[in-house]
Amino acid sequence: MKKNTPHTFNVPEGYFDSFYKRLMERLNHTEASTQTTLIPKSEGFRVPERYFEELPEKVYSRQLYKGKLIPLKTYKKIYYSAAALAAVVLLIFGLTWKTGTPLTFDTLANAEIEAYFEYHPPDMSAYEIAEAASVNTIAWNNVPETGIKEENLWEYLSETIEDVEDINILYNAYP
Amino acid sequence: MIAEEVLIAQLKQKKSQTKAFKVLVNTYKERLYWHIRSIVLNHDDADDVLQNTFIKVYKHIDGFKGESKLYSWMYRIATNESLTFLKQQSKKLGISIDTLKNNKVEKLQSDVYFEGDAIQLKLQKALATLPDKQKLVFTMKYFREMKYEEISEVLETSVGALKTSYHLAVKKIEAYCKTY
Repeated sequence: MKKNTPHTFNVPEGYFDSFYKRLMERLNHTEASTQTTLIPKSEGFRVPERYFEELPEKVYSRQLYKGKLIPLKTYKKIYYSAAALAAVVLLIFGLTWKTGTPLTFDTLANAEIEAYFEYHPPDMSAYEIAEAASVNTIAWNNVPETGIKEENLWEYLSETIEDVEDINILYNAYP
Repeated sequence: MIAEEVLIAQLKQKKSQTKAFKVLVNTYKERLYWHIRSIVLNHDDADDVLQNTFIKVYKHIDGFKGESKLYSWMYRIATNESLTFLKQQSKKLGISIDTLKNNKVEKLQSDVYFEGDAIQLKLQKALATLPDKQKLVFTMKYFREMKYEEISEVLETSVGALKTSYHLAVKKIEAYCKTY
């Protein structure tokens, strides 16, 4: 026992030297005991079997994929964008077609009708066409305003008809 | 174990990159996984975030200046990836981040990779009520047993502030566990 002269009390030898160490030990013990009683020491999670063993290969292959296939992915993006754009255009056209006025014969341009008949001649004679089409439906502007010149008519008839007499033209009727 | 400086140097060189990356993954896979799992809770999500973390580390290793330790830098990436993942999920589902966290805790009961008892489930519920930083400090200190100095490097917060956060977190969790 060490005697401290100013006081009448004694302390064990080395008491003050080891005080800090003992205090820390007690503090740690108190902290640990408090925590373990109230808060569980594990979270309760688990992982699938062999997860950590198989993880490096998974990461490595994913890293390779991400690292090396980037240029291809960029092209893919362009292809996908083009395809998406085409789809949008088609959709818009489709919608417009459906929502707009229905297609009728009148909406067709004359040029388109002419082009069609040029490549798909109707299986009808001129007479049948004349029979089928009512005179009233023929617009006047479809008839050429400039008449056929007389000499052109004679020229045509002389070339196509063998006997002019057959058509019973009265010579006297013409000068 | 390979020295950190050597590993970083190998990761930055094309010739040794592949081998060094495997070493890196093997060294840190478990520590980073449990850190991420504490934040996202679900195993599949943790797996996804962990892989993203390693890929980010690999891609950005040239930008790593060595101002902090490699593991601190990786922990930081893992933390950011996890929090970003949660934000993206809440946005995708059109719910708040708090609702998402509560939903995740509720789903734990039917999760095949959660084998916790009623107390551990209550702990998860209590953790879901904490602000992100308090929860991070608590899990890093209490479950991962990291030193305050290490947490300080990861979260870029002073040791004093971390101690306060930890203390507050413990009090809140205890209060929650007593109440519910």
